[in-house]
Amino acid sequence: MQRNTRRVFSRAGTFFVTLGLMSGSMAVAQDRPTAEKPSDLPPSRVIAGRPLHSPPKMTVEDARKSVNAFITWAGQSVVEEQNDARRALVSAAKSPELIQAFIEEIIEANKSGDTSRALVALGLLGEMRTYDGAKFLVEFVRMPLPTKGTVIEGELQEEAQQARLQAKAIAGVAYLRNAEFDREVAYQAGNHPSVIVRAEAISAYLWNRGDTLEARKELEPFVRKEERLYLDRVRRVSGEGAEAFNRKLTAYLKAHPEVQAPNPERKDPRPPEEKPNTYDVTPPKF
Amino acid sequence: MNLKQGIALMSSVLAFGLATEAGAVCTQTAASQADRDLWNTHGCWQDFFLWQYKAYGLRSGDWSNRGWNDACNVNLEYPKHWNASYLLTYGMLDNWDQSFHGTEDYRATAEARSSNFHDSLYHSVTDRTDVFGTFTPRFWPWDTDRVETACPLYNPTVSNSNPGSRAGDYMHEGWHAYFDKYSYDNGNTGGHRPGPQGACTINGCDYFYFHGISKYVFGAMWENNGTASRFHSPNQVQVEFLCDVADQSQWWIPLSVRQTAASDANARAASRFINGPGYTCGSPRPW
Repeated sequence: MQRNTRRVFSRAGTFFVTLGLMSGSMAVAQDRPTAEKPSDLPPSRVIAGRPLHSPPKMTVEDARKSVNAFITWAGQSVVEEQNDARRALVSAAKSPELIQAFIEEIIEANKSGDTSRALVALGLLGEMRTYDGAKFLVEFVRMPLPTKGTVIEGELQEEAQQARLQAKAIAGVAYLRNAEFDREVAYQAGNHPSVIVRAEAISAYLWNRGDTLEARKELEPFVRKEERLYLDRVRRVSGEGAEAFNRKLTAYLKAHPEVQAPNPERKDPRPPEEKPNTYDVTPPKF
Repeated sequence: MNLKQGIALMSSVLAFGLATEAGAVCTQTAASQADRDLWNTHGCWQDFFLWQYKAYGLRSGDWSNRGWNDACNVNLEYPKHWNASYLLTYGMLDNWDQSFHGTEDYRATAEARSSNFHDSLYHSVTDRTDVFGTFTPRFWPWDTDRVETACPLYNPTVSNSNPGSRAGDYMHEGWHAYFDKYSYDNGNTGGHRPGPQGACTINGCDYFYFHGISKYVFGAMWENNGTASRFHSPNQVQVEFLCDVADQSQWWIPLSVRQTAASDANARAASRFINGPGYTCGSPRPW
């Protein structure tokens, strides 16, 4: 590279440094975010204002609308309202119209792409433990996975999205605890094209049989050879203490020494930062 | 200034200019049910978002057409961003006998401040659809690391557009910053290892460094001993956070938020680790 060229680059560099610093300083300037009607109430007061244990009624006369409202309520509901939902579902399970309304709501949520709503609706239908509901869930699990769309890190998002819903559906099929449907769960544990669904099928099959050795033996022939590890996979259960969890983990690692990761690898260190951000203010009181 | 620095500056400033000129935004027509359900627990709490933008080092220019001046519109990117921050700031139970880690760990991983977890960083946003988020280390010592979250965390029809998955990505990208702080190399495929390999079915794999519960004091997730016996990978930190949202969050966290977190955790645990699946969490009972 000749001296003149060098000078041009050097000057251009200086010019862009100035420009860069200007744009940088503009970007760093933190004007506050604003909103038209923000709330001054702390969330503890907002939450206290929501009445608990008041699920909307599901009615045959207005099946679709009332089931829609129930799904919305269930999504917002909290753990201590889970039994309210379960009780309402036991009663709704006696009505084919309401089951059909749940199915239509699932189809609608799936079409709209709101996975969180579809997950809630699939969970509720599975919890109802009905033959017709389970039949639909099986059809849902068998739906072919999309083959086109957006790829992130080598994973087709449309495929992964549907697989996550199908995993929820297979858990509902397993929860029926019926021999005919159990065969489907076992089949999907080895044959579903997505590992996300196969993994959930294995977990749900075992959990619904109390994680017994017998259940494991029944399922093993269906599971792919390279995925037998999933039969022993550690599940963290809500409410389970550290001791119980750690015992399971120790047993798993002992039975499968091959899952031990190699030591992490080092790279060249980078120079220390010059201007550390020290903003450490306690967030507002809840 | 030498020739190399001149060229580097020119390209970075030009790239910055082009990036800021691109006026596109993510889909701003709706929010997922999980986002709305969590939102309803605060109803757009001003004190929080006025704290959050500083704690995450947000720069107004990055978010100007994304809700910076419409911070109560949950359909937009910035409100969704702070909704996820709200989840991890207040929503964790910090149950020593059952949680993998505590609020202190998750906050320090996500927030901007320099700490044992990472050097200073700031959160920005990108219109890319081929990533969930990115971590860009600083080029100059006086510069700041950048975490960008992308449209698949904001577009309402993508399954990761929910508060748990979004906050989970703050963990993931924040952990890339951790790797840089402590000079660890996690591979050259976007900071991961190429795949599929082993039990990992995607292209961007990690190892899972199994550890029991109560093995890290809250606030000590950053600790490592240079071996696999005390270490975390980005996807692992993300899975452990999502599992804590699913099973160990505050009583008022809506079930839609918990269920989507469990679904993301379990899908991620089954598909992203070379040495077999990570833990599974959330109940197999449908409701």
